Amino acid sequence: MNRYELIDISGDAGVRAFGKDLGDLFLNAAAGMYSLITDPESVTPRKSLEIKAAGESPEGLLVSWLNELIFHFDAYGFIGKEIRIHELHDTLLRATVTGEDFDSERHGGGLLIKAATYHKLKIERREDHWEADVIFDI
Amino acid sequence: MLPRIKDLVEVLYNEIPAGVGSKGKIRLGPDEERRLLTKGARWAVENGFGEEADIERIESGGMIEGADPSLISAKAYERGRAQQGTLGSGNHFLEIQYVDEIYDEGAANSLGLFEGQMTVMIHTGSRGFGHQVCTDFLEVMERAASKYRIELYDRELACAPFNSPEAQDYLGAMRCAANYAWANRQCIMHWTREALMKTLHSSPGALGLSLIYDVAHNIAKVEDHVVGGIRKKLVVHRKGATRAFPPGHPELPVIYRHTGQPVLIPGDMGRASFVLLGTEKAMQETFGSTCHGAGRVMSRHQAIRKAKGRSIWREMQDKGIIVRSAGRGTLAEEMSEAYKDISDVVDVVHKAGISKKVARLRPLGVVKG
Repeated sequence: MNRYELIDISGDAGVRAFGKDLGDLFLNAAAGMYSLITDPESVTPRKSLEIKAAGESPEGLLVSWLNELIFHFDAYGFIGKEIRIHELHDTLLRATVTGEDFDSERHGGGLLIKAATYHKLKIERREDHWEADVIFDI
Repeated sequence: MLPRIKDLVEVLYNEIPAGVGSKGKIRLGPDEERRLLTKGARWAVENGFGEEADIERIESGGMIEGADPSLISAKAYERGRAQQGTLGSGNHFLEIQYVDEIYDEGAANSLGLFEGQMTVMIHTGSRGFGHQVCTDFLEVMERAASKYRIELYDRELACAPFNSPEAQDYLGAMRCAANYAWANRQCIMHWTREALMKTLHSSPGALGLSLIYDVAHNIAKVEDHVVGGIRKKLVVHRKGATRAFPPGHPELPVIYRHTGQPVLIPGDMGRASFVLLGTEKAMQETFGSTCHGAGRVMSRHQAIRKAKGRSIWREMQDKGIIVRSAGRGTLAEEMSEAYKDISDVVDVVHKAGISKKVARLRPLGVVKG
């Protein structure tokens, strides 16, 4: 099973993430999003960030989690590589993200993501895995 | 001028921060950012970015009333702190163009446009600041939609009744974002003027560098419109649409009261852009609005796949257009074929009478994020 694949949508960009459980799904959605910004291979884990996110449903939590990561990228230039999820309920997530400061020379810019959106947002439990679709505002 | 385009594009690329992860030359402390959010392009002019004469050529004088910085989250302040005076990425651009065809000689004269003239077009907005305002308020609106029992077709369309506290708060915050965007374009225009003077060893007066117009294409405004013969106050949300007010409209500055509002419609980086004027028919049929661009025919990924193995940069140079881009993928995503032909789109709004063609601008040099 792939961790994620990209969804084609006119004007914007999306990620379909897969996971064996909800935690794995959230982690892979974040990895998919980072892959839109730059080549994940070019990112080195140098410093860590504690992230907390809250939402009123698993879907809302997923958007809020990804928007938290977008905030840290857009405001401080932090791009993540390794993610450890410490706590995950339907409405709360706590994680450590390890990565580094974005450097356009080394990282080569892909897309500048403005936000994770609720557009066509879904989380689905399949027989043996979970799937999530998130569309990003570009 | 032509041989100097390459130098000019290089200078503009170096002077105007663009692309993923780029930081601006302006750092805003909290008090300064609050002032900017209230005063918009006026803040920029007061801080030496541009001239007083620019202000009347900006929609709403570059400063929309009712912006309330106390409604802005700490996160939005943080994202806005270093992004003032940056171009961004995606379809944002700065283009050096020339007027290649005039459709309405009188109107072109009134706007100061003539054939063969060089123009600059800047497309950018409120950057990360505005996106954070949107992200923050989507959560508020999601709760509000269920509170006011509004059934949503798509969760992204979350909304609240205009007179609710949630909607009024959003409006106060959105107006801060509009002011951030007007200030941003004003700063970038200022540095563009400086780059032109530096490259052409001339003064702005001698170069005739005056602003034609600055107009938003993603904003909600409270306006007077006639509906079924009755004058009403409406909230007009132009998303992917541009205001196109007719001659005589009280919101137009004196200089454009007799011509109608200048409308700027950019095309893709390889074809053309257009200057039009607003019309009475737009008031009657489209709440004083017209289209804002070409629109895509290919998704970003389709475009990237189609461009594989090609050098878009070289293809553009072969057409006489110098392109400089920060991101590797940007040029592929933004290539001409990814968009509808702007000339067809503009012909539609012209024939529909909701704005009228004045001039066509052809690109010479392009800076992309």
